[in-house]
Amino acid sequence: MKENIVIIGGGIAGLEVAVQLLDLGYKPIVIEKRDRLGGHVADWNLLFPDMIPARDVVGNLIARASEANIFLNTEISFVNKLKDSYNIMLSNGISINTRIIVMTTGFALFDAAKKEEYGYGVYDQVMTNKDLEHWFNTGDDKRVNDSAMNAVGFVHCVGSRDEKARNPQCSKVCCITAIKQAIELKQRFPEAMVYCFYMDLRMFGKKYEDFYINAQRDYGIRFIRGRVSEVSENIDGRVIVKAEDTLSGKPVKVTLDLLVLMAGIICNTDSTRLANMVSLPIDSDGFLKSRDNVAEIIESPRDGIFYAGACTGPKTVPETLAEARAAALKVHLFIKGLK
Amino acid sequence: MRERFLTGYNDFVLPFVVGMLFVLTYCLVGLIRIIAQLPASDRKRFFLSLVTPKTMVKNVKDIFLKCLIHVDLWKRNKLLGYMHSSIAFGWFMLIVVGHIEVFLYTSHLGAKALYYPIFFRYFVAETESTMKGALIFFLMDFFLLVVLSGIVLAIIKRVRSRFFGMRRTTNPSFLDLIGLYSLWSIFPLRLLAESFTADISGGSFLTKSLNYVFTEFLSNHANMLPAWWAYSCALGIFFCVLPFTRYMHIPAEILLIPLRNAGIRIVNARKGFARAQVYSCPSCGLCIDACPMGVMKGNIRDTTVYLNRQIRRKNEPRIEEISDKCLLCGKCTAVCPVGVEGDKLRIAQRSTRRYNFGPDYSNIDTKLQSERCNKFVKKINNNVSRTDNERVLYFAGCMTALTPVIRKTTESVLTKAGVDYEMMDRDGGICCGRPMFMAGRFAQADELVAKNTEIIMNSGADVLLLSCPICYKIFRERYTLPGIEIIHHTEYFERLISDGRLKMRKSSTKYVFHDPCELGRGCGVYEQPRNVIAAAGEVVEAARNRKESICCGGSLGSLTLGFDKRRAMTENALSNLVAASPDRIVTACPLCLDTFARYSDRPVEDIAQVVDRASGYGKIS
Amino acid sequence: MDFGFKISPSSAINLDNVDLTKFEELHRMEPDVYKCMACGSCSATCPASPFSGMSMRKVITALQRGKEKEAVAMLRNCMLCGKCSMVCPRGINTRHLILSIFRIYREDGK
Repeated sequence: MKENIVIIGGGIAGLEVAVQLLDLGYKPIVIEKRDRLGGHVADWNLLFPDMIPARDVVGNLIARASEANIFLNTEISFVNKLKDSYNIMLSNGISINTRIIVMTTGFALFDAAKKEEYGYGVYDQVMTNKDLEHWFNTGDDKRVNDSAMNAVGFVHCVGSRDEKARNPQCSKVCCITAIKQAIELKQRFPEAMVYCFYMDLRMFGKKYEDFYINAQRDYGIRFIRGRVSEVSENIDGRVIVKAEDTLSGKPVKVTLDLLVLMAGIICNTDSTRLANMVSLPIDSDGFLKSRDNVAEIIESPRDGIFYAGACTGPKTVPETLAEARAAALKVHLFIKGLK
Repeated sequence: MRERFLTGYNDFVLPFVVGMLFVLTYCLVGLIRIIAQLPASDRKRFFLSLVTPKTMVKNVKDIFLKCLIHVDLWKRNKLLGYMHSSIAFGWFMLIVVGHIEVFLYTSHLGAKALYYPIFFRYFVAETESTMKGALIFFLMDFFLLVVLSGIVLAIIKRVRSRFFGMRRTTNPSFLDLIGLYSLWSIFPLRLLAESFTADISGGSFLTKSLNYVFTEFLSNHANMLPAWWAYSCALGIFFCVLPFTRYMHIPAEILLIPLRNAGIRIVNARKGFARAQVYSCPSCGLCIDACPMGVMKGNIRDTTVYLNRQIRRKNEPRIEEISDKCLLCGKCTAVCPVGVEGDKLRIAQRSTRRYNFGPDYSNIDTKLQSERCNKFVKKINNNVSRTDNERVLYFAGCMTALTPVIRKTTESVLTKAGVDYEMMDRDGGICCGRPMFMAGRFAQADELVAKNTEIIMNSGADVLLLSCPICYKIFRERYTLPGIEIIHHTEYFERLISDGRLKMRKSSTKYVFHDPCELGRGCGVYEQPRNVIAAAGEVVEAARNRKESICCGGSLGSLTLGFDKRRAMTENALSNLVAASPDRIVTACPLCLDTFARYSDRPVEDIAQVVDRASGYGKIS
Repeated sequence: MDFGFKISPSSAINLDNVDLTKFEELHRMEPDVYKCMACGSCSATCPASPFSGMSMRKVITALQRGKEKEAVAMLRNCMLCGKCSMVCPRGINTRHLILSIFRIYREDGK
């Protein structure tokens, strides 16, 4: 069992792969660029649809993966392709020879400031989905004014399904995230009006539709079918949102105390950089390209390199974990095949 | 001095005479047509300008400097300038000196006047013993050498345009090639022909030396006549094809310059001044490298030089395609050595398009809009008369609604400077009309102009502040707002700073300023934004800037270019901007900001953001 | 015989009877017209919308449903400012689309 297995990325995908491989008796190496494990999920508060704390999911994974070789604050400096293996040089000076790489490099959130018209970074009352989760976790954000929260708006598809934002793809999880966050805000501010501005609502997952019904029936969240096109500010600093209510066919305008932008999921630039180092192809959606998108989504076109999680496209937490387990099994079978 | 032939005639002059008569007739007819096509008022203005001493002097000066010396080309590219002026000026001097020669040495001219100066050496044997003769011999050979050096450069340019710093050059049409080759052969043939007669009729350092060196061949007078025939034929062919080639620009430009100096503008898309411009295009191809669409190879044939060619060929589908695709950035106009206005020419083509129906704004009531900006109306606000400051009406423009940071920071700067202002379009406004104008729909654009004029004139303001250069251009050119100063925010910020109303704090940030097309080339505002930025940080320049700034690619000027076709242009414009590794890119147009921000690797800002960050509430000194 | 009431014509759209010849012509000139996902960005940002109820989204739908008259009426206040082209998430060149409609359709919607 001396085979080195390198897992690039210490988010939930990387951790789950490590956990499974540890169970199978391997000692994988996890490389994480940040100073902590858990990736984006660790920044989240509660996870849909069961509202379990993200902290529990991540904490559990970290505890179970603790036996792995974990390098924090470490980046990949370069990768040399050898005859049938790779030599990976890390930023901390360590070099690793391996025949197996699992890419769990995850995704990046679209920079909402790039949608100039929504005024992120310009207006004091505009935040992103991530900022809101941070506020859920810490209660620390000047943009949320506890004493005056009369109306809140959520803008779906910010930087996704948008050619102008250079990302025509659907980010998949934002619809349900917006509903989750809308419910959470409504729970904290029961008197506030909460609006969701959407183009299409994609409630594809298990129990998502129930969640949607909850939001409508039990929380009275207003769903307006129309994409927000302009955000301005009135004299007292509240933001005015303009959209078309496409169902009534009339323009709508509403003044809000808080506007939350559902920043979409795009490919992590670090993933692309790494992919270039080991000559992995990039798919037309900007994410890493699998052998195929039906049966072999976790396999790269190169022997010994596997994918798990959002590096191949937007994924939910359960999908990511399932892929991670499958990838671990693939790694195990691959090693067996080598002998 | 003696005339060699009593008749003073030989059959070989015929090709030249035919060609010359043809081209003169063609140009005369063309001249009369173009002048007849001008609107009556323009025609009157043109004739008046021809007898006004000031424009007369300017016409002569311009024709001399532009058509013969090609000063504009010299400024851009010395080698190209030399090539063109050596051929044009050299040839011109050959003609002038030739005529002086005829004037000095022959008395009876009559019908011979047409060809005698051209073939003087064949008909007249002159001695160089007189001082005058030697000088003229020398001058004729000297200018022939000048022209020949130009021809050599022209041949090199044809083969390797990169040698001249041009990446791409025009693809000549078939007739252009015939014109080109006949032009190239005229002067070597003249040299050859005159070398044959050098031992009879005299010559100078070029012809005489050649005659001595190749005495075996050149002193054999049996070969003489064919050389003179060839020379005459080359001239004849050149003149016969001239009206159908790019060389038509030679006579056309002589008309274009006085027309332009008379202040005439394009009215009809194909007639009059537009026609003079089209025929003045020398197909030099400078507009090809200048065109921002050129980064994509498929667009090269949509540059102004090809528009002119297609208009001459009356190829309607292509004219429409080329006219509609253009971003109207105006760079081809800025670099054109003869002054063809590629952008205006295209707008004129667009204006000829027929639509089954179109917009109508009679139902738009300006009352509501006027009520929203009534701060300065004395009836409503009694304080108005007491303010010492100017009363500023700020029209942010449609595009600025999509880049709210410009509006927010501009308002913040105005507040800091204590400016008494009111927003004209806080809750949406009426379009300035420039996009409609760019689409060639002038009547509708004027309807919008009228609506906005009404609102502005009712507002009681005395300054109209704009942050969108697209609006700014039409406000300056097509609006009549008596008593109201129209100003762009770059200019207004400069004034606030220089008046000391805005205190700025300088940082070490390196800024590059992108000159928006409509602000720079469109309105000639170049210095003010740089002065403003210099008060906030260090200004570095883009590789190509000011008049030669490269369009961001987001322009509303293009009707047909889709979003997906513009990326390469934006990336090219960005790489031009970051030549001096600035920390931040600054622009002064909402459309440029929106377009650049999408693809830039570093922050892109409006000038208002820079000023807002660097200024304080008078606390900083 | 007049019974004091009239049967009003059905307001339902019968797709079997819609004449799409002109729309097909438009589609040939502007293939992107089918890309519209009816998000309404164009309508919300349109400066002409307060005056004529202009909505590019509605115009596209109306033309496909054979309601040319409605579409043409909305277009009457278009200022060609191009904001709709700027906000369209599908990258449709709405400005040129509008000009093509002006060319293909007639004022009476026929």
